[in-house]
Amino acid sequence: MPASYKVSYVIQERNHPGAILNIDHRPLVGDRVVLGEQEFTVLEVIDLIPPRGDFHYLHVTLRRAEA
Amino acid sequence: MDLLTVLSKVELFDGITPYELEAVAKICHQRSYQVGDSIITQGDHGDDLYVICDGFVEVLHSETPSDPSPRAIVNLGQGQIVGEMALVDRGPRSATVRAISEKTIVQVIEREDFEKLCDENYHLGYIVMRNIAADLSFKLRHQHLTNQ
Repeated sequence: MPASYKVSYVIQERNHPGAILNIDHRPLVGDRVVLGEQEFTVLEVIDLIPPRGDFHYLHVTLRRAEA
Repeated sequence: MDLLTVLSKVELFDGITPYELEAVAKICHQRSYQVGDSIITQGDHGDDLYVICDGFVEVLHSETPSDPSPRAIVNLGQGQIVGEMALVDRGPRSATVRAISEKTIVQVIEREDFEKLCDENYHLGYIVMRNIAADLSFKLRHQHLTNQ
């Protein structure tokens, strides 16, 4: 099975509870991410804990994308 | 995407055999929700575990039963589970879970079916319980990072 990435998204502005979801690729700094109706920019990507099996566990910091 | 493919991408079932995954698929029931629909209500009794297959849900916690403005704790998307606390400890639901995207699709597993499966197959039971523990740990880490 290809790698899966379980991501803890934390929003820099702290006015959003953040999100957890699985994605099929490793996000990169500068990527755009849509959570629900809102768009964000990736500021930082960190391996939160070591991978297990096909799963990688990431902490990603986001900030609201400028319109 | 067929159910087995969907379930194979869910961390909860990571490490079980294809045969065991088929057994899990047999006890799953699909449900769909629209924006604003409640999936779980804080304080209710509940026996079901939910696997989010498509869409987003928000998890809300009220300080009191009459709290007019519950606090959003986290949003959960594809591959995540909700309802696992009541499944494990049999307590009341600890939070409200509401759909926040059109056509949120979940697979529902009833506790009785789940426990029967675990009793019949200790390997499956061990792996899934380990994965539930890992998922709770990940959610806790997320909370710590969010509250920094």
